[in-house]
Amino acid sequence: MHRPTSKNWSRLLLVAGLLLLWVAGTAQAKVTGISGTFFDFTAKTDHISTGEGNSLLIYGYSIAGSRAQYPGPTLIVNQGDTITIRLTNNLPVSTSIIFPGHKAVASGGTAGILTQEAAPGGVVTYSFVADQPGTYLYQSGTNPALQMNMGLVGAIIVRPTGFDPAAPTAYGDASTAYDYEVLFLQTDMDSTYNELVEFGRSAEINLNDFHATYWFLNGRNGPDTLLPDNVSWLPTQPYNCLPRIHPGDKILIRWVGASRDAHPLHTHGNNFRLIARDGRLLSSGPGNGADLAVSDYTQTVNPGETYEGIFTWTGAAMDWDMYGHTAADNITLTDLVNNETGAAGPDGFDDNTYEYVADHEKPMPVTLPGIQELTFSPFYSGSPYLGGGAFLPPGEGGFNQHGGYYYMWHSHNEKELTNNNIFPGGMLTFLIVEPPGVAIQ
Amino acid sequence: MSCKRFLTVLPLIALLLLVGVGSSQAVYRQQCPPDTDGVDTDGDGIVDNDNICVQIGGGDGYAVMGDGRHLYTFGFSAFGGPYTPDDVVNGTAPDPADAGNMWSDATNPGLVLGANFPAPTMHFKQGQKVFLTLHNVGMLIRPDLFDPHTVHYHGFPNVAAIFDGLPDSAVSINMGSSMTYFYNLVEPGTYMYHCHVEATEHMQMGMLGNFYVDPIQDNGSPITVNGKPYSKFAYNDINGATGYDVMMPLQIHSFDPVFHTEDETVQPLSFSTMRDVYPMFNGRGYPDTVNELTPTANPGDIDLILNKEGNFAQGMPALIKATAGDRVLLRVTSLSTTEHFTVISPSIPMKVVGNGAQIMRTNGDPTGTDLFYMTNSIRLGGGEATDVILDTTGVAPGTYFVYSRNLEQLSNNQEDFGGMMTEIIIQ
Repeated sequence: MHRPTSKNWSRLLLVAGLLLLWVAGTAQAKVTGISGTFFDFTAKTDHISTGEGNSLLIYGYSIAGSRAQYPGPTLIVNQGDTITIRLTNNLPVSTSIIFPGHKAVASGGTAGILTQEAAPGGVVTYSFVADQPGTYLYQSGTNPALQMNMGLVGAIIVRPTGFDPAAPTAYGDASTAYDYEVLFLQTDMDSTYNELVEFGRSAEINLNDFHATYWFLNGRNGPDTLLPDNVSWLPTQPYNCLPRIHPGDKILIRWVGASRDAHPLHTHGNNFRLIARDGRLLSSGPGNGADLAVSDYTQTVNPGETYEGIFTWTGAAMDWDMYGHTAADNITLTDLVNNETGAAGPDGFDDNTYEYVADHEKPMPVTLPGIQELTFSPFYSGSPYLGGGAFLPPGEGGFNQHGGYYYMWHSHNEKELTNNNIFPGGMLTFLIVEPPGVAIQ
Repeated sequence: MSCKRFLTVLPLIALLLLVGVGSSQAVYRQQCPPDTDGVDTDGDGIVDNDNICVQIGGGDGYAVMGDGRHLYTFGFSAFGGPYTPDDVVNGTAPDPADAGNMWSDATNPGLVLGANFPAPTMHFKQGQKVFLTLHNVGMLIRPDLFDPHTVHYHGFPNVAAIFDGLPDSAVSINMGSSMTYFYNLVEPGTYMYHCHVEATEHMQMGMLGNFYVDPIQDNGSPITVNGKPYSKFAYNDINGATGYDVMMPLQIHSFDPVFHTEDETVQPLSFSTMRDVYPMFNGRGYPDTVNELTPTANPGDIDLILNKEGNFAQGMPALIKATAGDRVLLRVTSLSTTEHFTVISPSIPMKVVGNGAQIMRTNGDPTGTDLFYMTNSIRLGGGEATDVILDTTGVAPGTYFVYSRNLEQLSNNQEDFGGMMTEIIIQ
């Protein structure tokens, strides 16, 4: 244990936890972004804050005179729409945007290697038809090894034709239905690039010698990933990355590899079904649904690739009642329909709470150590039961408002759980499984 | 209640809490209740043997690299002596004949400074109910560290936060005390386990190991595939597609000697410059991976660190021996803290039959469509698992190799022709 960093973690957690209390119940269930068919981007410089308190120069995209943001705005568009992006370049260098997976056409600007570029002060316009649903990346097409590191990346989500927000699917197919969704746009950063650019020494950057020192989810390092959208002290890093579900809910995970290296993202709590790659359903043919989907507990997100997975968590077959119910509670469960399909007939789960019927009233098979024998997480409610709570020693716990279960979702190349040599941080966040009845958006 | 009044009662609450736990002062104790539910959940026909109790210690030790260099490690150690350690203060020991203790032959008992690398292999059967007790025995070489430890059973489905071993969401056990984790094994497959406390440090230092669960299909009648009956399977596959004759877990890990030395010598830890130069299978660099010698057979022939009780700290060779025609199941997992590795079997093709502890069929469903595929290479990042079957039908007797295709990883630091490689001997 490295004491100073441990203290640092506690302090950061304190802030993060207080914020969680403050904003509990607010949006975290849908991907935040901007919708439409025309987007007016300005590329410009700004700064971000890293998890351990550093400040780094970035290049970022801004909308409507706002500050630049990292990552760029998440564009949420509809299948079939023609999308137009006008890029005004307020950077000191030429820049451009490419849209992997889309057949974009560019107008204006000057010819670059990959696409038309905007010189400093210049403007270039791109347009493409969002012809396939899914998750996509957009990024700088000019010196991308540097400019992506500097922050010129973003995600595009294409909603399928006939998308119904009340009953959403990723690809229009029932096998891709979900209740909530979360974006995990992964980036890594060699901060020496940013520092050399800031000090006007770009010529000294060796793009062959990339050594990441920071790892981000949606433009934030842990533990800033736990903060809500748009907190005032992260004005250029607006996006949250703390999904929440109830038992039985399905959450669609959209992974975007906007990084230089590959990162294996592990989902504590359960496996997910990998349903799509690079905006294409893992399907053997039209109408077959995600019949090529596999189940896994870690997804390596390769640079430039996107993936979609559906995760759910029920707590089934623990062999003890995760609510701590006893016969004295006199709680009767109801299992008359299949919770997932709505068809008549039992499915093993309570129709309202998704409690696993067979484990109802079974006591936990072990006793926990005494409180003096344990070190506690700030996110521990004091109780092993979902929705439970108990007294903890002074100064312990306190940040788990609803007695939810917190599961870390993180890069399992654990070196990446650091912020420029400070542990912990980096590519980590949590999924919170909240007890039934807790409002999620 | 006003803030001020609340503050005045805080010390009172604290006092009550202290009084309340006075009877549970730190002590090593195992929880191992008998199986009395009258239900045969593991399908072996016996109703009272489904509870399985194992104990491990969490502490420190040493491992020796392929080039002979000794590195300081954190790790787990197996507790030998079935169910009679002095520390057991409650619980009832099940019948040792139930094979409840995987290490009952005392091949690897260890306490302080007894860390194994990799950690003791966890091998269970679907349907068993596991009571895994972790005793935090402390760090002998780093007495200034009073780190808690946990067991994270990586990949356990639908786990409760309390048994997930994530210190950031629940609890971790302090030095001098024990915690018993409970797992109801309803899903077979290839898993792994590791300490999740300050994971970058504790995992780089070696607190990790193999963990796999045999499917309940192994209890059934043999299934004949291509004229050959199989009775052991990677997954419940209905048709014998994952049947095998020989099995070997291959766990990928790698050490950065700079980091280990910093930890041993109480220096600030270099996370940012972490660079692993000792790539290994099952905690050894080639040629130690193929060394099957035991200390009693040939003491002195092998230097894989004897722990306090005179047993290997690195007791897990990766040598694969099969007869031509056998199916060999490799349970490949990675707990490297730094990078991805590509493992190849250039001469004997791999059939990928599972990943993430699920059969390679639609949605991991045994009744789903086969999504198996043939390949010569698999690539794993930290926390990933892939099950491959090597069909040795028609393979000529001889020695074949499985190794990292990232060729710089075929070294033990400065020493070439080592690292992440092992052999398959076909007889």
